Amino acid sequence: MFLALRDLAFAKGRFLLMSMIIALVAFLMTLLSGLASGLIKNNISGLMALDVTHLAFEYNDRPNYRNSMVEREMWEGWRDAEGVLAAEPLGHTLFTARSPEGLPLDDVVLWGVEPGSFLEPEVVLGEPLKGPDDGVIISALLANKHDVKLGDVIVLDRVLTKLKVIGITNEQNIGHVPVIYTPMRKWQEATYGPPGGPPPGESLPGILFDYASVIALQLTPDADIESVDIEWGTVTMDKQSAYEASLGYKEEVQTVKMIQGFMVVISALVIGAFFTIWTIQRTQEIGLVKALGGSSAYLLRDTMAQALILMLLAVGVGTFFAVWLGLSLEESGKPFMLVRDNIAGSSGLLIVAGLIGSMVSVRLITRIDPIIALGRTR
Amino acid sequence: MGLQVKDVVLELGDGDQKITALDHVSFGIAAGELLAVLGPSGAGKSSLLAVCGGLRHPTSGTVVIGDKELTAMHDSQLTRLRLKSIGFVFQQSNLISSLTSLDQLMLMVHLGGHRPTKADRDHAMALLRSVDMAHRANRLPDQLSGGERQRIGIARALMTKPSLLLVDEPTSMLDRVRGRQIVELLSEQCHQHQVAAVMVTHDRSMLDAADRSLHIVDGRIQEAAVSATN
Repeated sequence: MFLALRDLAFAKGRFLLMSMIIALVAFLMTLLSGLASGLIKNNISGLMALDVTHLAFEYNDRPNYRNSMVEREMWEGWRDAEGVLAAEPLGHTLFTARSPEGLPLDDVVLWGVEPGSFLEPEVVLGEPLKGPDDGVIISALLANKHDVKLGDVIVLDRVLTKLKVIGITNEQNIGHVPVIYTPMRKWQEATYGPPGGPPPGESLPGILFDYASVIALQLTPDADIESVDIEWGTVTMDKQSAYEASLGYKEEVQTVKMIQGFMVVISALVIGAFFTIWTIQRTQEIGLVKALGGSSAYLLRDTMAQALILMLLAVGVGTFFAVWLGLSLEESGKPFMLVRDNIAGSSGLLIVAGLIGSMVSVRLITRIDPIIALGRTR
Repeated sequence: MGLQVKDVVLELGDGDQKITALDHVSFGIAAGELLAVLGPSGAGKSSLLAVCGGLRHPTSGTVVIGDKELTAMHDSQLTRLRLKSIGFVFQQSNLISSLTSLDQLMLMVHLGGHRPTKADRDHAMALLRSVDMAHRANRLPDQLSGGERQRIGIARALMTKPSLLLVDEPTSMLDRVRGRQIVELLSEQCHQHQVAAVMVTHDRSMLDAADRSLHIVDGRIQEAAVSATN
């Protein structure tokens, strides 16, 4: 690294300019990583919060939360299967809702869960779920965005079901839509019952209460999923795969990953171009070092060390400023989330891309003829 | 014998473009001897240096430095030989722009794959003193004059205690007085360190500083021109 360090000190302006470009790419990569994580959180935080290993959907080629409907015998059948620690029905319906003042609240997803089951979320404010008419727990997003407070009553459009807010949980969404946790029976009434509930003095037919959307499962690793799926007409996904059943999740992740991929390629090309030009400018000196007895291996090690130092410093600076900005974005409630592993991954990827780019100069270095040190070719 | 060149032929190019840069060249020089090689432009002087320095494989003939025959070596062996046994002084001094005068010499230790010791540093400083450049040890090349750069080039060439010094037109970028000083310094160092040296020059006035000279024209040594100058 003798030459590498001295070159860095000598050509400060040139390396500083290059460092700024790499730092900017690292800055954007980290922000993009935070945005990707934020989008994921915004899309599937409700699913991520579920204490499940798998979700069983009604059999379908492309199962999702909206086209799946499971029956009581299916979740009871799952409960009795080997390797199943717990199985609970989960209801999922998209509604539009209104605030107590009658103002629209955008879309909400009503999740029906059995009060006291492992699906019930922890509340950060208020009380847990109780009976079907005792109230619901709302996502913090809904509470913050529309200033919904404990004790307020939310009205679901079309079905006119009234939901009293008794608890607020962390931000939990699905498909970027805030989740309202409601007792399963209330969810079944809102989803399958007539608008406004049953006529006075009447009750809804019992069959309505035998349906849900999916089955939330806690399975041991040795559970024979395939057999139970065949037996009960379900298709079971592990938790990670079940994220993809959320609307737009797969496309969003693909888009962000594609942008990240482009940025990695661009940075590799930029760094490759820089080191190529840098090597061409140093052709005479590289020839001189070779003539003096420097091996190509020595020069390659030196060049790669130079690239590594440049990348580490520039990526470090760019990432630092991105994290600094990201923290304030997180606090502002924007769909942004800093995940240490993801930041480390994108930074590492950038460094590797830079090193690959700088390897373009390797061929140039090995081809430089030391005879150029004599100034003539004859 | 420091350097023995025997019946060396160097052909460059192919087909119609083929030229004979060196045509059955033979000569030898002893340790501590400075040989001046004269000749017009394109006569083959630089080709001779390139072959002697292992930068070009001759088409035929042999080049022996000490007990090592260059013509049988492959590129990586030649690279090691250049580092350990050959010192180059180039036409335009050819210093690395990012290195101070002292670092130009220390580079030779790094190229050998070693971490420099205090002894290496002392040796480098002693060489800088011997070329009267110790006071410029921390200067970068662009802070030095042409003559000073050439002095650093000479000190660098001697850093690895080579058995052969190859000097390419050391005075071409200098005025007559400075050129004279450099050639006298080379001669002095060559004798002091008992290094065989080949100095290519076009300047006849420098011949008296050399122990011997030979004249090369069209790749051939002119027999009559081989002479002792001192």
